[in-house]
Amino acid sequence: MSLLAAYSAGGALVWIVWVVAGFACIASGVAVVSFSNPFFAALALIGNLGSLAVLYLLLSAEFVAAAQVLVYAGAVMVMFLFVIAYVGPRTEAPWSGGPRWQTVAAVLAAAAIFLEIIVVIGLKAGGKLAHSDHVNATFGSPGWIGRLFLTDHLLAFEITSIVLLIAAVGGVILGSHTRRSQQEEASTPA
Amino acid sequence: MLGPSTAWYLGVSAFLFGTGALGVLIRRNPLIVLLSLEIMLNGANLALIAFSRHASNGAGQIFALAVMAVAASEVCVGLGLVVAIHRRRLALDVDRFSELRG
Amino acid sequence: MTAGAWLCLAAPLAGALAITLAGTRISRTVAAWISTVSVFVAFAGAVWSFFGLRAHGSEHPALTTAWTWLQSGDFKVGLQLLVDPLSTMMMLIVSGVGGLIVLYSIGYMHHDPEERRYFAYMSLFVFSMLLLVEGGNLLLLLVGWGLVGLSSYLLIGFWHERPTAVAAAKKAFVMNAFGDATMALAFFVLIAHTHSLAFATDFNVHLSSTATNLIALGLLGGAAAKSAQIPLHTWLPDAMEGPTPVSALIHAATMVTAGVYLIARTHPIFEQARTVELVAAGMGALTLLVAGLVALVQTDIKRVIAYSTMSQIGYMFLGAGLGAYANGMFHLMTHAFFKALLFMAAGVVIHALDGEQDMRNMRGIGAQLRWTKLAFLVGSLALVGLPPFAGFFSKDSIIAAALHAHWYGVILWVVALVGTFLTGLYTFRMYFIVFGPGEARTRHYGEGPWTMLLPVGVLSLLAIVGGWIQFAPIWTPLTHWLEPVARTLPVAEPTSFQEGLSSALAVVLGLAGIGVAWALYAGRRPVPRWAGLQRTLEHKFYFDEAYDALFTRPAAALASMLRDGPERDWFITTPTELGDDTITVARGVRRIQTGLLRTYVLFLGGGMAVLAVVLLVTK
Repeated sequence: MSLLAAYSAGGALVWIVWVVAGFACIASGVAVVSFSNPFFAALALIGNLGSLAVLYLLLSAEFVAAAQVLVYAGAVMVMFLFVIAYVGPRTEAPWSGGPRWQTVAAVLAAAAIFLEIIVVIGLKAGGKLAHSDHVNATFGSPGWIGRLFLTDHLLAFEITSIVLLIAAVGGVILGSHTRRSQQEEASTPA
Repeated sequence: MLGPSTAWYLGVSAFLFGTGALGVLIRRNPLIVLLSLEIMLNGANLALIAFSRHASNGAGQIFALAVMAVAASEVCVGLGLVVAIHRRRLALDVDRFSELRG
Repeated sequence: MTAGAWLCLAAPLAGALAITLAGTRISRTVAAWISTVSVFVAFAGAVWSFFGLRAHGSEHPALTTAWTWLQSGDFKVGLQLLVDPLSTMMMLIVSGVGGLIVLYSIGYMHHDPEERRYFAYMSLFVFSMLLLVEGGNLLLLLVGWGLVGLSSYLLIGFWHERPTAVAAAKKAFVMNAFGDATMALAFFVLIAHTHSLAFATDFNVHLSSTATNLIALGLLGGAAAKSAQIPLHTWLPDAMEGPTPVSALIHAATMVTAGVYLIARTHPIFEQARTVELVAAGMGALTLLVAGLVALVQTDIKRVIAYSTMSQIGYMFLGAGLGAYANGMFHLMTHAFFKALLFMAAGVVIHALDGEQDMRNMRGIGAQLRWTKLAFLVGSLALVGLPPFAGFFSKDSIIAAALHAHWYGVILWVVALVGTFLTGLYTFRMYFIVFGPGEARTRHYGEGPWTMLLPVGVLSLLAIVGGWIQFAPIWTPLTHWLEPVARTLPVAEPTSFQEGLSSALAVVLGLAGIGVAWALYAGRRPVPRWAGLQRTLEHKFYFDEAYDALFTRPAAALASMLRDGPERDWFITTPTELGDDTITVARGVRRIQTGLLRTYVLFLGGGMAVLAVVLLVTK
């Protein structure tokens, strides 16, 4: 497809795609954190997920990219938007509230984490990260992933499904006090 | 591998992680906090995928899928909490829940 | 005989302990009799050891050790009692006169609600004094020394509701503590040089003259404080705040004579520091003169007798300082008899007048207290030193010894003779004022019960015959008895002519004093006053004011300066500030506990960042 053509045309196209996707990723990440309206923040997250999917494609992880778009952006984010719509309009300025030292310390901590990772990559692992292994065409394909899930990583597969089950049960329980809480709200004066 | 080396992907991943952390620490609306948490998880995912490609090892992608599943479960429970809070007519402000204040 | 010494020492201690432990379970009378019996048992023990020593030969003293009390390196001190002529003499005086006085106290203190405490203290005192005189080494002597100081403090301040009594007790204790300190310093020097406090070692050693002089000075300081000699004399008149029997026992017969005993006991050291010994003699002479003068203007009957005591101890110091130890000890014995008698007779008068102590208000009591008046007369005559009463034999030999001892002694001789004139004057001034004719006063208690009159009678007898034990230079059994332990120095052995001359002059001057007193005070003629001298004498030569300015005020000023300065800064402000600072820091740290979930996540993230740095650096 066009992707294969891009591969054979050389790395220039890859670089361009990478820059665009990377920039979109970063920008949307900053947007999620800084929008005051949660609705817009959720939309920015969807954009972030999309650009991440492009990056995954560049890394030969086709199945993961597809799952990202379908599951993450398609299901999880829709759920988010449902709740945001249910809760209603709540804007909140990003930098307000809390003790001032907390804000300063938070910025410092986040910056420290970021810089440390950069430093580690640069100092310690720079040389080794230059050349990556050669992969064949089936790398990252759904069949390959499926085979891995059912052979090498069966346990992870099963446990993940149990986690999902527990989350579903939890969600049901959190949502099931409807009748009782509505009765309480009706009896107590507002 | 064509295009930038793994290190670049890791840089993006680091930035996403840091930004997400900043969001968790700064914001007061629990919905935004959950969204920032998602950003962090996605940053970690990107790192996993990048290393998986670098070492041509499938475990990274498997792990990334598991992370995605767990993130979905955690969002489910978190949003359930937000809805429960909203139902009790409490303010949607993380700073209000400070009974541990000394 | 050593068993007698142990009995003598242990009996009063047992009495004191018994009364203390029994508390209110026994009646006051029983407590009083326990104390009295214990002291008389001590007297029996003293008699036993006296006769035992006599049988044994007085040149063979016995040193008995119970156990080693203190040991440090090669310095060893045992719990030792010494039975020798000097100590048995003191034991007899202390327990004998003490027993009579404690018996007297039964009647005197009969109405006091705290009798038990009084009698416990009295037994404690007798024990302490006996320990002092029986102690077989210098350390036990010092222990007894300190204990008598303590007992004196407890008994002077017995009526502790009276602020004057409390102040007097403190004054006595502090001044005695000064003397104790000098004595302790002297002992330190001794230990440093000889590593021992045993009599045998310390009295036979020859140290450098600096060391010997220091030791002698230290001992003299202690003796002067305990015996109320100038300059450490100001506590004795104030000590009259205590009950009269206390004044009789402690401040006349026994404790204040401990200084004389000390000089007699440690005379080998003093003889090596002859100058210090002569200073002691001079100190005694000065004291006897000053005390005699001040006694002339006192209005409180007990204070007259107190100054008289001070004066007579001056005579004893004079004798001992010149080297006439036996004479000094003889006068100590006779003085114990007649001074205790005078105090007790005065106590009868005070008791009969329900606590009145001002002589000017006592006129006319003589008609109602006939026996007491007679006893008082006997005591006064003994004090002035007229034959055949006791004081004549003891005092005159001291005066004669002074005449023999070079030019310095002659000066002291003149002073001593002036002292006899003054003694006659103030003593009979007191007698004529108290027992002179006047309007009869109402009395509450009469002459007192037999417990008060019997001791007075016994002591009157002793005041008459007590001096007949020695008539120098013809018959000197006492000097012979004391010779093994306290040989009189040749310089202090007067010739017969000097003895006769001194005696004659002393008697004449004493009679002259009595005559002047009779002329001035016997009738109701007005007393002449010389304003300036009177004021000086009334202020006791301004010693108290001088000490107040020299010691009390600066000490008080220093104390308040320290209180407002360093003490406030270090002990009040600093801990308070420390507490406040801690609270401030805690408040600051408290701000971390915001209660916000975000904060805890921040700490989590921050910690992770720090950990990452650490791992980076170490790997």
